Amino acid sequence: MPRVTSRHEPFWASADVGIESFDAIVIGAGINGLVAAAALGRAGRKVLVLERAERIGGQVRVEEFAPGFKAGSWSSDAGWVPPSIIETFNLKLDLVTPDVPLSVRGPAGSLALASDPGRLSETLRPLSRTDADRWPQFATRVHRVAGFLEALYQLPAIDIATTSLRELVALLGVGRRFRSLGREDMTEVLRILPMSIQELLDDWFETSLLKAALGVGGVQDLRQGPRSGGTAFVFLHHLTGAPLGSMRGRGYWRAGPDALVGALDERAKGYGVSIRSQAKVAQILVREDAVAGVMLETGEEIRASVVVSTADPATTLRGMVDPVWLDPEFLRAVGNIKYRGCTAFVLYAMERLPESLGGPDPLDGVVSLTTDLVSLERASDAAKYGAVSDHPHVEYIVPTARWPALAPPGKHVILARVQYAPYALGEGAEWDASASDRLGHVITTALERAHPEFEDRVLYRQVVTPRDLERRDGLTQGALSQGELTLDQILFMRPVPGWARHRMPIAGLYLGGSGTHPGPGIAGGAGWLAARAVLDDR
Amino acid sequence: MTTSRYDAILIGGGHNGLVAAAYLARAGRKVLVLEKRPVLGGAAVTEEIFPGFKFSVFSYVVSLLRPEIIRDLDLPRHGLQILPLESTVTPLENGDYLGSWADPDENRRELCRHSPRDAEAMSQFGRLMQHMAMAVKPILGMMPPDPTSLAPSDLAGMLKLGNHFRSLGPDRFHALFKLMTMSSADYLDEWYEFDPLKATKSASGIIGTFLGPRSPGSAYVLLHHYMGEIDGAFRAWGFQKGGTGAISEAIAGAARGHGAEIRTDAGVAQVVVRSGRVTGVALENGDEIEAPMVISGLDPRRTLLQLVEEKELPGDVVDAVKRFKFRGSSGKVNLALDGLPDLHCLPGAGPHLKGAISISPSLDYLERAYDDAKYGEFSRHPYMDVVIPSMIDPGMAPPGKHVMSIFVQYAPYNLNGGWNNDRREAFGDAVVNTLARYMPNLKDRILYRQVLTPADIERITGLSEGNIFQGELALHQLFFLRPVPAWAKYRTPIRGYWQCGAGTHPGGGIMGASGHLAARAILGER
Repeated sequence: MPRVTSRHEPFWASADVGIESFDAIVIGAGINGLVAAAALGRAGRKVLVLERAERIGGQVRVEEFAPGFKAGSWSSDAGWVPPSIIETFNLKLDLVTPDVPLSVRGPAGSLALASDPGRLSETLRPLSRTDADRWPQFATRVHRVAGFLEALYQLPAIDIATTSLRELVALLGVGRRFRSLGREDMTEVLRILPMSIQELLDDWFETSLLKAALGVGGVQDLRQGPRSGGTAFVFLHHLTGAPLGSMRGRGYWRAGPDALVGALDERAKGYGVSIRSQAKVAQILVREDAVAGVMLETGEEIRASVVVSTADPATTLRGMVDPVWLDPEFLRAVGNIKYRGCTAFVLYAMERLPESLGGPDPLDGVVSLTTDLVSLERASDAAKYGAVSDHPHVEYIVPTARWPALAPPGKHVILARVQYAPYALGEGAEWDASASDRLGHVITTALERAHPEFEDRVLYRQVVTPRDLERRDGLTQGALSQGELTLDQILFMRPVPGWARHRMPIAGLYLGGSGTHPGPGIAGGAGWLAARAVLDDR
Repeated sequence: MTTSRYDAILIGGGHNGLVAAAYLARAGRKVLVLEKRPVLGGAAVTEEIFPGFKFSVFSYVVSLLRPEIIRDLDLPRHGLQILPLESTVTPLENGDYLGSWADPDENRRELCRHSPRDAEAMSQFGRLMQHMAMAVKPILGMMPPDPTSLAPSDLAGMLKLGNHFRSLGPDRFHALFKLMTMSSADYLDEWYEFDPLKATKSASGIIGTFLGPRSPGSAYVLLHHYMGEIDGAFRAWGFQKGGTGAISEAIAGAARGHGAEIRTDAGVAQVVVRSGRVTGVALENGDEIEAPMVISGLDPRRTLLQLVEEKELPGDVVDAVKRFKFRGSSGKVNLALDGLPDLHCLPGAGPHLKGAISISPSLDYLERAYDDAKYGEFSRHPYMDVVIPSMIDPGMAPPGKHVMSIFVQYAPYNLNGGWNNDRREAFGDAVVNTLARYMPNLKDRILYRQVLTPADIERITGLSEGNIFQGELALHQLFFLRPVPAWAKYRTPIRGYWQCGAGTHPGGGIMGASGHLAARAILGER
């Protein structure tokens, strides 16, 4: 595949007086976009961020969905912010780790997974002594393996094919981090990654509730079920940045769901970055194999010789770039990226919370209603054939338990996350109002079953399907991950094989969204590495 | 103490054990092979199940047998004769069929009938798979280095491996990576549009595994079955004249020719270990035979958990073997037929009956068959690979009559409620009834029927959970992890005790590579 490396004088340097020009344009003001912009601004670049929505934040936006009721982030936790980003921008944000970040409830019983491994062990003891004994050991093992991923995720994607043997040796041979795992854990890293989460959990535990609680982490935003290979990796991926023993426990920002967005916005502006919202990019302008700027939907052109897009790879490369500038093989690879959004949300504005929802612990963790892995697998089966199961996986958070200001005093918001709601419905069906309503009904019924009187307390319900996510946030196929997190789409394979270092085949074009290495859930990770690539290139 | 008569005892007269025996004997070692059954071959046996009708009872086609083994052991002289299996016909649900023929032009015309675009993609795809198979071949033939070890041989092995990957170039390396991690359905989706074509191709990605075509990891198994195409020994798939048992007999002939002694009806009850070292074996009949080296061709569970006592092994090895996944997923139905059946979509005794008939009308069909098995039921409408060996090798059946071999997936070893006679027959009925939808006169032609569930395969051959590969070909059970980390180089923690079955690298499929590599490891040691 030929690689375009030619460089040209910035277009704006020669002509077009009166057209605004910048050193770099960042598309998208989500966390990755803001991190990229702040990093470039800090290095003295004149940067413009263009956001298509009214508000910045991307998937983390505080917006009213019913009068007086606001939704925060789709994500149930703050994600993992790599330490280099925290240090560089001197982010002093208060993170709260719930005592019980995750619990399971169902007719078969309930289980609270305390973040303290000792406490969880005691909770498990009446259910299974073996599981209780094994828990601390398991927690340590997965924490160490996730720690290895953390190390990988702070570096540009390793690619033995495009660079030297040195990199392979760096990874497998002398990589201090890998070696420091010790032989047993090193083997475990390599053994666990391709496994299914069910196999991994079956190796360790016997309590169904525990396995169900953990198993969900392996299929997050994935169309596959817990018996699919690679789901153990997804489980570990989402443990990066979490404290030892804490499942789904990366915590939340005390100041509000968008605390990080606000802080980054402030930093970026401090570095002179301009941010424009309601500015949707229609096209990335290319002159002679190099980026020349962007054209907005309104027809307005803005010049820049660098564009960092945090939109997903298909949206950027198939939607914003004239195909004449890209090699057909490359475009084919982009076309082969699997998105397959399958997560839907239901937002509830609540008059009050049902009594049964409370418990001894605060309500600031995730509650999962899936109590065994078989039902999770069955829910995924339906999605394979383009249908929504009658018993999908439902988990919810009570955002107002974390941030009361999201609702009027005494009232609450419940955010239910649903899998599997496949983007592509089979047999010509569409995500129209009735399909979306049906899904809302299924979820309400599930919540009513878990918490009697739930439905009576609901003031308003909003269903957000993958189709809605695509429309609202421009996410291809409604995939929150910007590309399924499967083993063939990570590291040097993300977004497409051989182009994982954020540089695209057009000089000056970079990708910095979660569709690139290191992927979703690593807050700002991709934007940070993309900005570094920009700065390394000059 | 008398010196033992043998340098090495091989447990199990399956094809890998026989290959190892032949190589050791060729190197001058005094070797004894012990097989518990009256016939040699393990899962590669020919038996006359019904008077006059001979069946390759379990495995039924060959393509993977390593050419260097054929050469080294001079197997054609001992009776190896492969008859080509040239075509595959997939009956479609609309009454049409999809054929794949030996002649490339004919093949192309046939595919064009269904999808000109796929016909276009076919040659490029074929080239890619050939490159992929060539990229994997050296890995299958190498002693798997342990990437976690700092031993010089492991570091050298890793370096060799790294250089190999680098020499592939980025495009092929990435293609290989995709093949190792994707599902066969996703992988084929990148190339083809005609669903029955994707289904038929992806079927080879699920054979012998507990995976569906949409399960990540199945693309690798697809490649595993492409390996046979590249060596030129016999293109694609073929039959051994006289059934797969004749392959085992040919290898046994070579072994005997080099002086190996082979005993049947000699089941080993236990491997005798004294102070961490093998001293011989105890037979089921109570006899003891001494030897300083014992090599097991059995699967890892039997080799490490049943033939020796747990206390002889480190705890982590015992745990790892217990975790090793077998999960047999396939069954076999062997039919003795009064005459040839008619295919609904292609009536008459045409040349297509000399090839395979694949019951894989769509990806959803295969995936639903897998869904049944996931929850502990056999597939109501299973995937079937059907061949009629007597069409190619008339000696397999009396004149005018035929034998039909039906490989069936999925039949889970852990059936809800367990396998018994009724369930076995119900499974056989599901197979025959489904097949009869495509072969209307099939039932009238059946003289005898043999149904083998994974439980039967385990009972007869000893293969744990009836897994024909001696352990699933899943990424976390391959290469330096097969069968267990740190013990992937044919040794075991017990001195003098070795393993050479398909449960070791590189795995099953009448390839013989495990037996060959084990013999090399053993001979290189002294």
